[in-house]
Amino acid sequence: MIKAVQKLITWSRLKSPWIIHFNTGACNACDIEIVAALTPTYDLERFGVQLKGTPRHADVLLCSGPVTRQIKDRLVRIYEQLPEPKFVVAVGTCACSGGVFEGCYNMLSGIDEAIPVNAYIPGCPASPDAIIDGITKLLKSFEESEAKKLTKAGG
Amino acid sequence: MLLALLSILIFPGFLFLFILALAAEYIDRKLYARMQTRVGPPWFQPFADFIKLLSKELIIPELADRVIFRTLPLVACAAAATAFLFIPVYNAESIFSFKGNIVAVIYILTIPTLTYFLGGWYSRSLYSLIGSMRVLTQLFSYEVPLLMAVLAPGVLASSWTFSTVINFYQANGFLFLVNIISFVVAIIAVQGKLEKVPFDIPEAETEIVAGTFTEYTGPLYAYFRLAMNIQTISVSALLAAVFMPFGYNLGFVLGVIVFLLKILFIIVILAVIRTIFARIRMDQMVMLCWKYLTPLALFQIFLNIILKAVITQ
Repeated sequence: MIKAVQKLITWSRLKSPWIIHFNTGACNACDIEIVAALTPTYDLERFGVQLKGTPRHADVLLCSGPVTRQIKDRLVRIYEQLPEPKFVVAVGTCACSGGVFEGCYNMLSGIDEAIPVNAYIPGCPASPDAIIDGITKLLKSFEESEAKKLTKAGG
Repeated sequence: MLLALLSILIFPGFLFLFILALAAEYIDRKLYARMQTRVGPPWFQPFADFIKLLSKELIIPELADRVIFRTLPLVACAAAATAFLFIPVYNAESIFSFKGNIVAVIYILTIPTLTYFLGGWYSRSLYSLIGSMRVLTQLFSYEVPLLMAVLAPGVLASSWTFSTVINFYQANGFLFLVNIISFVVAIIAVQGKLEKVPFDIPEAETEIVAGTFTEYTGPLYAYFRLAMNIQTISVSALLAAVFMPFGYNLGFVLGVIVFLLKILFIIVILAVIRTIFARIRMDQMVMLCWKYLTPLALFQIFLNIILKAVITQ
């Protein structure tokens, strides 16, 4: 019984990932691509994805850009406002590793220096196809880890 | 006793209403997507959203009043569902019927809106505070035309009880078509009541994050969304009973099918309005309601009084 409920919850989490988009100091190219991925052409609502205005309603935090020292505290705060379970996706090369800004005096090199990251999507800028691919891969890995947890608890 | 419990919990009570509410959200979102040449969400989307929100972490803001913050979503759900019990489904008599129940239903349907306001107020967040003020401003502008429009058909039937109004119009053939003006007024006002585009000013996500619901997480937000969907069904059923008073003497199966078709018709109209308009400003909304909708609704009441004098002579 509990197992069935767990399965239902995992299924529902896979089917409705709501996202929130946060610019952590990007040059705006990745942001434009994220917004492009949400347009009717790509139709992310097929997968249950909705763009939310508040971190309180979201499950996935899409970050673009290397983290500037100015925005680091805000990023951590927004991350803490997301209710569990939450995922962070770093969109673009800068968000993954700092990109061309690596070693700058006013930048961290990548999102993972501030908050834990679940998926990295490289590209300068990351195209909408790459973003959709990255999110589906994130969901697949979440599904596998949940299935593993269930079999471990059962056996 | 058992029959009353069954009718509250299963049909036409909570279970029936729950399924209808999720179906209403699905139809609304799917039509919206199809009209934007998208594929749209799969059929289980509202259900998956509901389960996911229920299973998420619940965060209560430090400054918020814990008890009121927790109870308001349930109050909203309960009020929206209670209103449905007084509205006839397949025969002219609703399960709990009394004199003047149209007025009672309208007032019960105001409670969810008030809980949205209180929810935003007690969240102690600036965004939700602005959102809740907008909810109240909007309430005061659409409530008057809505009330007058819904009561206008009753003026002709000289009663504000569902069964009397329905029996009167069923005995008089196509007489219900004279209420078309107040039907249009009511549809526009209902769009404001359900906070959908063009009247989604209280939760305008491009301006004030998520309006009144900014601080609501997980289960509590799920109940608020459910309350909104149940409200859609309750309001559609109200409009169906008052403005389309036919097909209430066809027996159980056919009666329920006709009822569902009427609700579908109203939801389709609401979805089309949502697609073809963009959000308007608060002052434009207030002006629209007081300058155009209220006089139109008054005109309908005036027309019905004259008609009544002509008929009774």
